[in-house]
Amino acid sequence: MLSVSRVVRIVTLLVVAVAVVTFPQWAPNPYILSAGVVVLIYATLSTSWNFVGGFTGYMSIGHAAWFGLGAYGTGLLIARLDIPSFAALFISAAIVGLIAIPVGLAALRVRGISFVIVTVALLLVLQLVFQGLADLTGGSQGLVVPRPFPDLLRPEHHAVFFLIFTALLAVNLVAWWAIDRSRFGLRLKAIREDEDKAQALGIPTRAYKLSMFVVSGVLAALAGGLYALWFGDLDPIFVFSILFSVYAVLMALVGGIRHLFGPVLGAVIVGVGAEFFKAGFGDTQLHLVLTGGLLAVVVLFMPDGLIPAARDLIDRFRPQQSSIREVTVEQLREAERQGNAGIDAQEVGK
Amino acid sequence: MTDATDPQVLATFELTKSFGGVRAVDNATVAFQAGRINAVIGPNGSGKTTFFNCITGMIKPDSGTVEYRGRPVTGKSPDRIASAGIGRSFQLCRIFPQMTVLENVLAAARPANIGAMLRAPHRRSPDVARARDLLVRVGLDHLENSTADRISYGQQKLLELAGVLMADPETIMLDEPAGGVNPAVIDRLASLILDLNAEGRTFIIVEHNMSLVMSLSHHVVVFDRGRPIVEGSPAMVQAHPAVLEAYLGV
Repeated sequence: MLSVSRVVRIVTLLVVAVAVVTFPQWAPNPYILSAGVVVLIYATLSTSWNFVGGFTGYMSIGHAAWFGLGAYGTGLLIARLDIPSFAALFISAAIVGLIAIPVGLAALRVRGISFVIVTVALLLVLQLVFQGLADLTGGSQGLVVPRPFPDLLRPEHHAVFFLIFTALLAVNLVAWWAIDRSRFGLRLKAIREDEDKAQALGIPTRAYKLSMFVVSGVLAALAGGLYALWFGDLDPIFVFSILFSVYAVLMALVGGIRHLFGPVLGAVIVGVGAEFFKAGFGDTQLHLVLTGGLLAVVVLFMPDGLIPAARDLIDRFRPQQSSIREVTVEQLREAERQGNAGIDAQEVGK
Repeated sequence: MTDATDPQVLATFELTKSFGGVRAVDNATVAFQAGRINAVIGPNGSGKTTFFNCITGMIKPDSGTVEYRGRPVTGKSPDRIASAGIGRSFQLCRIFPQMTVLENVLAAARPANIGAMLRAPHRRSPDVARARDLLVRVGLDHLENSTADRISYGQQKLLELAGVLMADPETIMLDEPAGGVNPAVIDRLASLILDLNAEGRTFIIVEHNMSLVMSLSHHVVVFDRGRPIVEGSPAMVQAHPAVLEAYLGV
């Protein structure tokens, strides 16, 4: 028998899923529809980041590196080798997965701020390399990627890619959910909580972290490849952008990195906010100021993100569970009979 | 009491580790026999925890070797050493604070295969049942759904031991198990150690609580300035002049 809260959760999920899938039909204009695609790209990138950040606690600020490699891999395979668009997308993601293995082996040897610096360095190096290899990549002139559906008008093109990005996001979410509830996920979370302790218990932390690093990279590469097919023009300054990476992290932090839907919620809030301010205030960079302000608010008042904060708020209005210190006389007698009273009674005072 | 002819389970040969100019472990050659409760004692700063960390792979020794069951494990990663059969606790109790008490124990269980690893831990799975049995054994079964950071320090020590046991090690290294906990928890820990030893597990314990060491141990190794100075039975060690000098400076 399903509990009421479970029914509410399932119904909410279905309603949101139907609303998202039908968005291309009820979006008021093509601009809003394209903004929806942008939010979905952010949501996909942030959710893919959360495979490493959420499960292992390793904070990569260079996650856009995989997005950019996926985008350029797809674009180059199509533009230079005439490989069909969606075959190029998957080949590119597979290549990125292979690249992620040695990079992960090296980067995951360090922790904390050192890992952050390594990932930033990777991103900036790739940006310079793709700018420098102008003969191959087009450099700052950009790389034009032929569209996969040349007969579609622009609004139809947005609608198709909105649905494709929705499918990729769904794959991300299902994979994250499956890992989260598995024994593998439990051991990954142990790494996040205390890596040395996890290792001392026999968890092969390096292999676990590397597997998440590669999965995260491949999913980001798929998002990047789809971006290349959707947008049709690649520039290293944008696809290897540090700001793009920071947005992915910020979105996950805003929503809550330990929650399945945290990065999605963060992407909706930050993505919609950024698009709104870009539309309203043009090139004033006001959206960056507000993004910084949002980050400060989250860090100060909701360090675990919006979803856990909302959950805590709801819990306050629920009937409170009794503290482990509050025991009845009968329970104390029972504990005494079982020989536990000494421990519990003395532990209470600690 | 285990017979003194039991095979050697763990041995270090001229193990050395320096931090800057300080030799924390200095040419330590020590052997521990299987099935015993071994204690490593010594004044503060005598290198006991560094010695532990070198054995369990948390720190790479500068020189020397560590052998477990006759095979070298020097410099191997802590997870490989744990998989070889050495479990350990830490001086400052380490748990997974945001996970529940049950999850803390379950995290240490090695999934049998990839399929088991990718499945959710089912309520009736053998590992969950075993984790619950261990929680009953350490007296924390009534707290299995509490997050680990909400239980007392003494309970966290018991939880840490339950996690170590879940990995099913043959040899258990405990770093100050009685540190910072009340007498009732110390009694429970002592009783658990004796029971587990009777089941065949070897213990190597760093401890400052001398009454606990003397009442539990079969064999005591005394460290001073990074090297073992005396080893033998608790009664012999207690009366040894070098031990009195190391502890009291007399």
